[in-house]
Amino acid sequence: MNKRWYVVVALIAVVGMMGMVFAGCGSSTADKPKAGGGPTGTVMIYTSIYPDIIEKVKPEMAKAFPNLDIQWFQGGTEKVVTKISGEVEANKVSADLLMVADPSYYLTLKERNLLYKYDAPNRKDVVLPKDEEGYWTPVRVSNMIIAYNTKKISAADAPKSWQDLLDPKWKGRVGMPSPLLSGTAFVTASALSDKFGWDYFTALKNNGLKVEEGNSALQNKLLTGEYDIVIILEENILKMAGKGEPVKVVYPEDGTVIVPSPIAIFNSSKNKEAAQAITNWWLSKEGQQAIVKGWMHSVRADVEPPKGAPALKTFLEKAAPTDWAKMAKQAEQIKETFRVKILDK
Amino acid sequence: MGVKGALSRLDAKWLVILGSVGVLVIFVVVPMVYLVINSFIVDGVVDFDNYKTVYSKIVNWEALMNTFKLSLLVMILSLIISFPLAWLVGRTNMPGKGFFRTTFVATYMIPPYVGAIAWTQLLNPSVGFVNTMLVHMFNLSSSPFNIYSMGGLVWVLTLFYSPFAFITISRALEKMDPTLEEAARISGASPLRALCDVTLPLMFPSILAGGLLVFIAAGSCFGIPSIVGMPAQIEVLTTRIVTYVYMGDSKGIRDATALAVSLMLVANSILFFMTMMLGKKDYVTIGGKSTRPNIVDLGVWKWAAVAVAVTYGLVTVFLPIASIFVSSLIKTYSQPINLSNLTFENWLPVIQSSQFIVPIKNSFITATAAATISTVIAVFVSYLAIKTRAKGRFIPDVLSTLGGATPSVVIALALIITFSGNLGLNLYSTLAILVVGYMVKYLTMSVRTISASLSQVHASLEEAALNSGASWLRTCKDIMLPLIAPSIVAGWFLVFMPSFYELTMSIILYGAKTKTIGVLLYELQTYADPQSASVLSVLVLIIVLAGNLIIRKLTKGSVGI
Repeated sequence: MNKRWYVVVALIAVVGMMGMVFAGCGSSTADKPKAGGGPTGTVMIYTSIYPDIIEKVKPEMAKAFPNLDIQWFQGGTEKVVTKISGEVEANKVSADLLMVADPSYYLTLKERNLLYKYDAPNRKDVVLPKDEEGYWTPVRVSNMIIAYNTKKISAADAPKSWQDLLDPKWKGRVGMPSPLLSGTAFVTASALSDKFGWDYFTALKNNGLKVEEGNSALQNKLLTGEYDIVIILEENILKMAGKGEPVKVVYPEDGTVIVPSPIAIFNSSKNKEAAQAITNWWLSKEGQQAIVKGWMHSVRADVEPPKGAPALKTFLEKAAPTDWAKMAKQAEQIKETFRVKILDK
Repeated sequence: MGVKGALSRLDAKWLVILGSVGVLVIFVVVPMVYLVINSFIVDGVVDFDNYKTVYSKIVNWEALMNTFKLSLLVMILSLIISFPLAWLVGRTNMPGKGFFRTTFVATYMIPPYVGAIAWTQLLNPSVGFVNTMLVHMFNLSSSPFNIYSMGGLVWVLTLFYSPFAFITISRALEKMDPTLEEAARISGASPLRALCDVTLPLMFPSILAGGLLVFIAAGSCFGIPSIVGMPAQIEVLTTRIVTYVYMGDSKGIRDATALAVSLMLVANSILFFMTMMLGKKDYVTIGGKSTRPNIVDLGVWKWAAVAVAVTYGLVTVFLPIASIFVSSLIKTYSQPINLSNLTFENWLPVIQSSQFIVPIKNSFITATAAATISTVIAVFVSYLAIKTRAKGRFIPDVLSTLGGATPSVVIALALIITFSGNLGLNLYSTLAILVVGYMVKYLTMSVRTISASLSQVHASLEEAALNSGASWLRTCKDIMLPLIAPSIVAGWFLVFMPSFYELTMSIILYGAKTKTIGVLLYELQTYADPQSASVLSVLVLIIVLAGNLIIRKLTKGSVGI
């Protein structure tokens, strides 16, 4: 082996490192404005919306905002929130817009004066509760429901409600995501413990409830038959059912857990004009149709429900109550209680 | 050779060492220390409240105990498995050594979270493939294995992290001075006796280094415990730490850091303990007269060895890889696995789509840069610790362990906070911050591997070169580096591989234009089809194996794993 190789490598390493550092500092996008109006510059959206939906939306948004460079950072809600926590700590939030699936997080952000107030014109058509002052607005609706494997369980036999999951015949056959690691599971734990008391989860545990990391792990284990029944996001199951997989959604009679995920603009945004225009677009009929194509429900009354799902209003009234303020304030206690009652051996 | 010559020689040496330590301090130590300091300074006031609350919770102590127990078991099991395998591959005439060498490290080329999912599919108690097969074959009343248990966790962690021990040990075995063993053999010792009384004790530094690597990797890993341990209700430190991070506020970050500190302490005290143990003895095995190590003739046992190696390879490597490969061909998970449920259709979009090209390129660049820079730093940090008498020479070595023992998500947070411009350096959303992240996390891999190997090189070789008038740099290049070359290659690979598919840090640190393989795998696994994720994993494996093969051919076998 050529011994000079090491010296060369060492040199390349140092030069490469320097190069990257400077390239990183100097990079900026300078797109020439195209014909047409609308906001210009760049805008950064942090979101937990699924990547395939974003890919579908991109061309539509490019049409609506021809002069805008829209950038996305996509990850699970917890990952996005972690990134933002770091950025807040460094006092350098690089997102202009936030679209994650934890309404209580927006209350926290608002309280810490990190959000920007914007009363979008299309807000009037949003039928779900929104921030009165305009700091955040629901933009999509996800639901935590019960799903079962139709090859293993008949429709007549399937559980109809949260309480049905306590039936001894499901012992050891039910799974749910961990509220400690998944935002939507946290909302579920909070809502159902408010409604039934923590005894409900203790009873579930005694009936052999298995807790998994997140929704996607459960989705696959429902397909393989490792679990017969799971507590999971509606959109995962709708998508699978749409592909012809043997899974079915049950909207629990004693209250679906409805999670209206908001959109909000950061105070620190350097391109508020663009952020506002995008917010309004997402709340428009066009933007909402993109949401529905992603198997989520619209926040407007004039947009169809996702394929294979009933209209939101058919289960909205019976929904389990969700106390977002409590979730924002007592996140740690709620997670800790769940851990002590359910996860401890 | 005058005074002036001696001075410039000294200068070059210390400049290079100082430079390496400097890079280590700026990019590895500063972020970690900054975060730790932040964890007890709240609004300018020293406040240990979060330490009190975190450490007053029994669950965190249980998690710490679980982590310790788990890492220790994994370490011991890895060593028990790896040493005999490394010896068979490195020092005997077992047929097919080259093949087995690559096989035994192949699990290291599978992303752990993908591998862990593969194992849950094989060994889950209700519909696990191996379980149902065994139940059918032997008419059992219930599944023989349950992956969701402490045993299952130890099993999966061992399979994924024992390659650390294997690589470290086998590299050192190859560079060993054979004369000591020969002396034992000539004095009438059997090959086994020579192995136990001479080889094993002499390999002590590398065995310990490999063991420590396994310990640290198992203790700071999140993916496998979350996939395998969660359904079994086994909490480890990393799952606790991530729980705190996901609280989503600065208090959560401080609590997480406070808890992460214990992992750093455990790792460093073990490192310290290990250095103390090594400090008492002389482990020099690479002297001036060494030729290549002698090969033990296994005789008729040769085929028994092959049988052992094949069995181990089949169970630990072939089974999970086959499972991942079959997953990549499955049409739907809801049907049993048979020919009508298999298709190559999952492969087409992956191979045709351009969305895979950029992440592969990004991962390749960042992993190569991280591995190369880490290796360069590791060589000089190890040299400083082992071959000089400078005061505090072990400190950089210890510091490199800080990052290795910290869960990735905490490192990612530390990097966001330190390198987004507040301290004068803005790397945020660049490829550079990913490189730094991988370095922080995996530098300790190359430092441990290289320093273990350096401690076995006799000082006389370097002195001879210096006395003959060679400059220090020349001595490094011509004497030191060639002698520890196998370890350098191993160290490089140990950083490259996990960086190549790193997920936890990348998912938080990636920017709009710097998506990596890990991020893509995560997306595919979570949102799209797990089949596509399997396709990508198989592709990664093929790329790495092919790359390894090409490099081995080009360098005529001197570089490669």
